[in-house]
Amino acid sequence: MLELNKVRLVHNQGTSTEVVALHDLSLKVDTGQFVTVVGANGAGKSSMIQVISGAARPTSGTVRIGGADVTLRPDFGRARQVARVFDDPRAGTAPELSIEENLALAMSRGRRRRLRFAVTRSRRSVMREHLKQLGLGLEERLSAPVALLSAGQRQSLTMIMAGLTQPDVLLLDEHLAALDPGTAQRVLALTVDLSAELSCTSVMITHNMEQAISVGDRLLVMGRGRVIADISGAEKASLTVPGLVSRITEAGAEASDRMMLSPRSG
Amino acid sequence: MSSVMTDTFVTGLPLVPLVLGIYLVMRIREDFDLTVDGSFAIGGAVGGTALVHGVPVPFAMALAIAAGVGAGLVTTVVHLGLGVPIMLAGLVTSLGLYSINLRTMGTPSVSLTSEHTLFSGLQALDPVARDWVSIAILFLFAVAALGAVGLFLRTEIGLALRVSGHNTRLIRSQGVSERRLIAINLLLANGLSSLSGVLVVQNQGFADVNMGVGVLIAGLGALLLGELITRPGGSRILRGLLAVLIGAVLYRLVLTMALNAGLSPTDLNLVTALTLIGAFALNRVVARAGRTLAQRRSGQRSASSWDTTHTKGAVSA
Repeated sequence: MLELNKVRLVHNQGTSTEVVALHDLSLKVDTGQFVTVVGANGAGKSSMIQVISGAARPTSGTVRIGGADVTLRPDFGRARQVARVFDDPRAGTAPELSIEENLALAMSRGRRRRLRFAVTRSRRSVMREHLKQLGLGLEERLSAPVALLSAGQRQSLTMIMAGLTQPDVLLLDEHLAALDPGTAQRVLALTVDLSAELSCTSVMITHNMEQAISVGDRLLVMGRGRVIADISGAEKASLTVPGLVSRITEAGAEASDRMMLSPRSG
Repeated sequence: MSSVMTDTFVTGLPLVPLVLGIYLVMRIREDFDLTVDGSFAIGGAVGGTALVHGVPVPFAMALAIAAGVGAGLVTTVVHLGLGVPIMLAGLVTSLGLYSINLRTMGTPSVSLTSEHTLFSGLQALDPVARDWVSIAILFLFAVAALGAVGLFLRTEIGLALRVSGHNTRLIRSQGVSERRLIAINLLLANGLSSLSGVLVVQNQGFADVNMGVGVLIAGLGALLLGELITRPGGSRILRGLLAVLIGAVLYRLVLTMALNAGLSPTDLNLVTALTLIGAFALNRVVARAGRTLAQRRSGQRSASSWDTTHTKGAVSA
């Protein structure tokens, strides 16, 4: 369970460049729920992700994960509860490390790291099991440097890394944005499977309206640091892309060029 | 010719731990720590003074390493506690250490020729045999340091350290606080530097308060020379460690040849500076050539991986 209570995030507070990124945002997402988030640039989507992951500390308000107040915990202190997949495929993996070393890095996520070998025989067999799900043959290339992988392969590997330790919350920050349509479709299918398998709370930001409608069981539309529409169930199922875009514009947010062009990345 | 070789090994191998520490700071984490100048000297000063006072060799060396680790700790605390950049924090620590080293030794220079050292048991041997046994002893220390660091970099902590210098977002999202890693790295690098210091004083038979001046630059030059030979792409550990070993020896080869060519020891700082500049220049040229080659090769490779991704994708879709 993920709970934001009146979270306010202000950048450059008290100066002439003050920006209110999140406006007393309150949100409750149940365990196992998959939420997609859309909104114009500057709507507060990424700010919300940052507040949940701990990369940004709210100016006021509280963040609770699984009932525990984590508001004051920095991002590295929440890694056990929160797994993140970034928009940049290069950010989620270390290119100079091998596939097995990247996976080993994630296997110790949120635990105290010790002076013992990171890659062991038993860990390797666990890695192979997980990599087989991808069907990319990566389980045969454990010692290959990640730098040799394509963007789609790297993002798939990042997904596997996110699922190695059972997180309470899975954050997907436009994680398909840098992928070509075919690869994005495959990684999206992997995302849905992984989320179901982990039965954790998933929050996915996307600029692709079709994805936002078809994936997950709840859709949030954000604008100017607030949730301006919260759609689920039959209402979500009956949404159309033009309908969603007009809801965003009606609610006072600007539909950016990028959103109008969204089917391109789908 | 053989004297050039033995001179090179005898003076180059003690520098391996130093260059290894610089490799950890500059290549593994991309920091720049000037403390190593001071910790090299404090290793010599503390170790040398302890030996003069009759402390057994292993304890004297342990004291020297502890002093270097302490120097690293000071820099760590100044950096993490006060937010001073590592470079400035190291400079401040090194400056302060100069006075401490002088206090420790009492005089600017201490002779160890009549003391019990690592090498004093070899005096009965003829000069050539003595050199080769010294080289064997120094080689053991170098390999032990390289091996220990190589194993460390494969541990959970070592893995995190290797990532932390290049990708802050990733390492934080994996639940690692960089502060602890910065501390570990600085303590390790300065402990290694002071190990080099105490090896050098026993080897050359004296400790000098100025012996640390410029060792960071020298070590960096050595590292760059070594990388010219091994071209470590990314952080393939074995190649990195090999670059450290080869670089330390190559660097001393340059200095030994300069001395043999008739230059005086006071000219060596200039030779070191020129070596560094030359290594930078060569690294640029080789890197550019390497890139062109890699592009040609990866052009084929990425084309083939594109194919596999897409055929596999089609199968799964």
